[in-house]
Formats: sequence, structure tokens, C-alpha cells
Amino acid sequence: MLGQLFVAGVVHGLVIGLAALAVTLVFGIARFPNAAAGDTMTLGAYAGFAAHGATGSLAVAGGASVLAAAAASLAGYLLVFRPLARRPVAALLVAAIGVAFLIRAGLGLAFGHQQRVYQVPLAWPIEVMGLRISPMDLTLAGVALAALAVAFLVLYATPIGRQMRAVADDPDLARVSGIRPFRVMVALWLLAGAAAGIAGMMLGIKTVVSPEMGWESLLPAFAAAILGGIGSPVGAVAAGLVLGIAQEVSTPVVGFTYKIALAFAVLLAVLLVRPRGLFGRVEAVR
Amino acid sequence: MEAYLAAIGIIAAVYVLLTLGLTLQYGLTGLVNFGHVGFFALGAYASALLAMQGVPLPVSFAAAAAVAAIAAWPLGLVALRLREDYFAVVTLGFGETVRLAITSERWLTNGVQGIPGIPRLFGGVGIEAALATLAAIALACAVAALMLRRIARSPFGRVIEAIRDNEEALKALGKDPARFKLQVMMLGSALAGLAGAFYAHYIAYLSPDQFVPLVTFYAWMAMIMGGVGRVSGAVVGAALLMLFLEGTRFLRDLLPGLVSEVEMASLRLGAVGLALVLFTLFRPQGLMGDYTRR
Repeated sequence: MLGQLFVAGVVHGLVIGLAALAVTLVFGIARFPNAAAGDTMTLGAYAGFAAHGATGSLAVAGGASVLAAAAASLAGYLLVFRPLARRPVAALLVAAIGVAFLIRAGLGLAFGHQQRVYQVPLAWPIEVMGLRISPMDLTLAGVALAALAVAFLVLYATPIGRQMRAVADDPDLARVSGIRPFRVMVALWLLAGAAAGIAGMMLGIKTVVSPEMGWESLLPAFAAAILGGIGSPVGAVAAGLVLGIAQEVSTPVVGFTYKIALAFAVLLAVLLVRPRGLFGRVEAVR
Repeated sequence: MEAYLAAIGIIAAVYVLLTLGLTLQYGLTGLVNFGHVGFFALGAYASALLAMQGVPLPVSFAAAAAVAAIAAWPLGLVALRLREDYFAVVTLGFGETVRLAITSERWLTNGVQGIPGIPRLFGGVGIEAALATLAAIALACAVAALMLRRIARSPFGRVIEAIRDNEEALKALGKDPARFKLQVMMLGSALAGLAGAFYAHYIAYLSPDQFVPLVTFYAWMAMIMGGVGRVSGAVVGAALLMLFLEGTRFLRDLLPGLVSEVEMASLRLGAVGLALVLFTLFRPQGLMGDYTRR
């Protein structure tokens, strides 16, 4: 039973980890917690759902969710967050909520409010060391790992990724070193959107697609980003896994509803005890 | 017609109380509270549950404000030492957690089925009771608004505005911002709790889906529209919000069959989102905000 929950937790943890990656990149580089990340996930889930319904191919669905979510994320930056860059952070926070509502309203109008389900073929679970693992979980884990591999390649093996990390470390130093902030920001929002989109599609396949799904994942994503240390991609993924596993394993104890509240408890505990998270750099959060 | 106007007036006044709480917290002090609805919900359930046990309404109303203020205390202790963006995340989480707790704790709140038959103010559903309720809540709004105005002009008010404008400078002067923020947080939450009590005893039915995060952002929208940091702006903003909420309902009645109720809900959500974005982009001080200050 516990092992089975652990497996479910790993898949869920990868979803949270990808969402937290999107949050932590924006938080570390654009320097505000983006409340629209959850609804960007929802957009990815719906785009994937539509593509999957039309073609029946998971690869096409993944491509659609990445494209749609990255495009929306970039549009949000160009239209809203870029003009607000020099304003107090409260303006960005409120605007992010506005963007989140706009995305959710658009999806509600386009797809209605009823829950949608990805029509994926059912298959017999595979038995591994006494644990039953469904092939879909394996596929999803593979998709998530591939997405993470691409994200980390971009971050750690390309010039733009290096520039992104430089801006995250010290924006002023990056600027005087000749890094063009606009290009970095475009790359950042595309990458964050793509990660959120894939996370949304995975969540949609794993559970159901509804306009509220992304918003409900926002709190775990924030909690994982802060637990992992803001601006630390590795930390976000690791913390996402920890949180996902903790949520699933604790479900028999605390019940289905409170597993989201667990994220809140983790969030408070981290901010209280170790505000810079597990992998975060020393930065004033107080 | 009078009944309808009284109903609108009461709900508008509930939003005035909520918005006044935010005006104190964000407008004057600069605290980004995204969990206002959590305190609203605590007040509503506290007063409703007490009244169902036979507690007199004046006591249950006072308890509603007290419960919300007390809930703000530990949250404030933890969160108010954090940077404002972290504070926003924590309060957002708080609001969601309150809703989850209401959904889960069926023994107390009856979960998603909700609590029906909450005693109404002035014991009835007639027009006299509605008008008396309206008078009572209008009085509460007036008292709260005057109190806020007094606070804004007092030494305390100057300190909290200094927290908003330059916290470091204030620390250098030897003030402890956390203490002031905690008091502001508790007082603003008490107003939200009081709003919740009025709401509970007017609607007479409570369920968790009345306390979605959207309510918080209705209050934010009212505050931003009316003018951030202005007490009168909270009243104007709540009136505009009510105009918007009721107007969209009329629009749907005028154009039957064109948009369904769920589509209207989406359109309303989108309009709130667009308003939040456009106001922060182009008119951060609101329609009648204070231009002399930041």
C-alpha cells in the first residue's frame, strides 16, 4: 500500500517539480511569485487535450501543450509583466492574478466547465518488485524526465541558459557584463511556460482536466519552489518530488482534501526554519 | 423593488467592509494580503455556528471579528517578517487552507452541503428586516470608515504609511515595523470577519464554495478602482464592483439564450482579470486615487 502510494507520489511529484521549476525560474530571474503559473498549466492541459482528441497521439498533445503554454507565457511577459518591471512588486503580484483569471476565463469560455478526461488506452499494470505500475505512469515519468532533461540542457549547456543563471545571481553584474536582459527574459518566459504546459498535460492525463486544476496546483508549486530554494532549478524538482511523495503517502492519514493543505504547512515550516530553502543561495527573504 | 435595492445595498456594504480591511492593510500599510477571503470565511462560520447554538447575535458578531483577528495573529507572527512577495504567497495559501478546512471538517461545518437556516438579523425576511439590516451594516461601515480615517491621521497612521513607503528608513528611526504590521493585520482581518458575520446572517446559508479566492480579488478590484489608500475610495470601489456584478446579471437577463450562467461566470472572471491588469498597468492609483503620493 505504502509502496503503491510512493509510486503515485513520484509521478505527482514530477508534475509538481515541473510546475515548481516554472515558478522558481520566474521568481529567481523576474523576481516575483507568478500566480499565473497554475493557469498556464491549465492551458497546457487543455491544449494537450484538444490535440490528443484530434490526433490520439500523446507526442502531438505534448507538443501542443508546450507551444500553447509557452506562447501564453511569453504574451503575458510582453503585454503585462515587461511594462511593470520597474514598478513595486505588489503591482506584479496583482497583475499576475489578473493574467491568471484571464487565462482561466478564456478556457472556461472555450471548453466549458465540465471535467474532461484524456481518452488514453487502459493497460494492465506491470509488476516490478511487488509494486503494480501502470504503463501510463511510466510513460508520464519518461515525458517528465525528458522535459526536465531539455530544461536543464537549456539552463546549463547553452549560452542563453548561462546568461539566465547569471541574471538570477546578480542582475546588475549580468547587465554590465553585456548580457541583454530582453533576450534572457524572452527565453525565461518561454522555458517557464513550456515547463508549466507539460506539467499541466501530465496532471490532466493523471487526473481530470478542469478550469480550476492549475490554480489548485499553484500552492504545491510555490511550496516546492520555496522548499527547493528560490532560483534553484535542481532544488525545485527535488522539492517537488519530496512534496508529491509526502502528499500521496500522507493521504490515508490526513485525507484527500488536506493533502493540498500539506503544501501550506511545508511552506510555512520552510519560511519559518530555513527561508532560503534546501538549495537556495543566501538571500534576504525577511 | 425596495427589497432588491436593499439586497444590493447589503451585499455592497459587505464588500465595503472587506475593502476597508484591505485599504488598511494594503492601501495604508502596503501589506499584500491575498487571503482576505479566509478571514471573511472564518467570521461567517464563527458567527453562524455560534448563533445556531443560541448565542445572541450581538455576541456572535463580536466573536466573528475576534476569531478573524485571532486567526491573523499567528499568521502575522510568521509571515510579517517576510518580504512582501513571500507574504502574498503565504496569505494566498492561508485563504485556500481555510476553505479546505471548511470542506473537510464536516462535523463542524457540514462540509460542501453547507449550513442552512442561519438566524437572520432582526428576525425575518420581510422588507422591514432587510431595511433594518441595511441600516445596521451601513452604520458598521460608517463607523469602520471613520475609524480608518482617524487611524490614517494619527501617529499610528503615519508609522504604517511609512512602512509602506520606506520600511528601512522607519527601522533606522528605531520603530519595529513587525509590531505595527501585526496590529494592522489583525484589525483588517477583524473587519473581514465582521463582514463575514453580516453576510452569513443575511444570506442565511453558508457553504465552502462561497469563499473562493475570487472574493479576495473582488475586494482588491474594489480597492484599486476606488483608489488605493483612500478610505472614501473603498466605498466608491465597492459600489462600482456591485454595479459590475449586478450589471452583468442584468445583461444576461436582457439577452436570454445568448450566454449561459457558466459562460457569464467565465466572462465575469475575465473582466475582473482584465480590470486588475489594466488598472495596475495604466492607473495604479485607481479612479480617484491620491496623486500626491506614490
